[in-house]
Amino acid sequence: MIQWRRALGLLPLALLFVAWEVAVELKVYPQVLLPAPAKVAAVFVNDWDTLLDNAAASLARVVTGISFSFIVAVPLGILIGRYRILDMLTDWSIQIFRSVPPISLIPMAILLLGIGDKPAVSLIFLSGLWPLLINTIFGVRGIERTLMKVARAARAGEFLVMRDIILPAALPSIFTGLRLAVGAGWLTVVTAEMIAVKSGLGYMILNGQLTFRSDLIIAGIIVIGAIGLLADQLVRAVRARVCRWQEGLTASNE
Amino acid sequence: MNRFIECAGVGKIFPGKTESVEALRGIDFVGEEGEFVCLLGRSGCGKSTLLMMMAGLETATSGQIAVAGQEIKGPSSDTAIVFQDHGLFPWMTVQKNVEFNMKARGVPAAERRAIASQFIEMTGLTGFGDRYPHELSGGMRQRVGIARALTTRPKALLMDEPFGALDAQTRGKLQDELLEIWEKQKTTVLFVTHSIDEALLLADRILVFSPRPGRIAADIKVDLPRPRTSQSADFSALARELRGLVGADREID
Repeated sequence: MIQWRRALGLLPLALLFVAWEVAVELKVYPQVLLPAPAKVAAVFVNDWDTLLDNAAASLARVVTGISFSFIVAVPLGILIGRYRILDMLTDWSIQIFRSVPPISLIPMAILLLGIGDKPAVSLIFLSGLWPLLINTIFGVRGIERTLMKVARAARAGEFLVMRDIILPAALPSIFTGLRLAVGAGWLTVVTAEMIAVKSGLGYMILNGQLTFRSDLIIAGIIVIGAIGLLADQLVRAVRARVCRWQEGLTASNE
Repeated sequence: MNRFIECAGVGKIFPGKTESVEALRGIDFVGEEGEFVCLLGRSGCGKSTLLMMMAGLETATSGQIAVAGQEIKGPSSDTAIVFQDHGLFPWMTVQKNVEFNMKARGVPAAERRAIASQFIEMTGLTGFGDRYPHELSGGMRQRVGIARALTTRPKALLMDEPFGALDAQTRGKLQDELLEIWEKQKTTVLFVTHSIDEALLLADRILVFSPRPGRIAADIKVDLPRPRTSQSADFSALARELRGLVGADREID
């Protein structure tokens, strides 16, 4: 039964595939513009190296950028969540900057950082920064009041409180932030590569348009989607491991 | 009689946006070492606030509190507290939870483990050391809370309606166990409750609080022989008297 429900998620994808096949058969668009599924499948054999290299380039940028986001946002978020004065200091800025789509910063990034990995990684860093920061702050705020009283009554030092209480309490929320950050970073990398870099899946797709390789474009989109799905599953799996104590505490495990 | 716990003219006012609330006024009380004192009253009569002030988690607006000769100005190592909602860290195992107060005090890991095991055994938690709080029943969780509080051998154990959220049967069992521990450890216990029966089963002495502002309306010595049962005539007589004092027709629950 559970296996069945799992498989249910494939249904929309199967329908989409059928619709695609039908559209090709009915020649809604010429073959050059809308290639047959078989032709796209061939890309995965003939252009495997191209796909792999570009996917690796995109992934490396996201991993680098989001790692920086994590390193900056989690400690900062814990401090902001813990100290009221830091919250007052930063709240407006966070609300303003998080509303700015990273993509709108691409022109500035190119002007200041040139073409290449630097602007791309910087933008991914920014895309991941806000969701991680906001969710970390939120996680710290959500700590049960009794737990902080226990810590105070025990006269626990600030470092112990941070490491043994605040960090673990915020961890589920930090992981929610990480999921959002990875998603946002992945969106940004593809866009950034279309403009600011000469490698990666975004670049490959744009190149596909210029060279009328619509099969390569669709293959690229499939790879982007697949990696997005896998990355999300990975973060969820890590979360389930790290937050094992949370099992059975929440109504659903998402 | 030694003056082990001393409250002198203790008052507490919570400032509010429109008007401030006077939670406690003129609390004077002296408790002896080893005494089991229940703070009894309806909700909102300031009994928990007084306990929090004894724990150093709230500051008195007026007056002074001293435990074991030390004026309370903040959390002290002479006291330990057990909360109604147990305050266990959900990400720590039972063992780690019990060790926490010692860890906060810088007790070395090996010693911590040994002492924790001892209190895990005393509170009937043997075999549950590796479990997480959510895997335990309400009664078991509160045992962990009690074990944690005992590890630092506090001179006064402060309990804020620790059994309030438990079913009657579990509650009765934990009351018995608490008395056993109290007799063994010889700590002073201050126990907040709104149950007359619970106060009569446990206490050497009951402070009855009346509300708005919270005051001690009566200070009653309970001389019933232990172990006690709610079935005796003396018990019923005292319960009746307390009901009148608390100002409730029946059990205030």
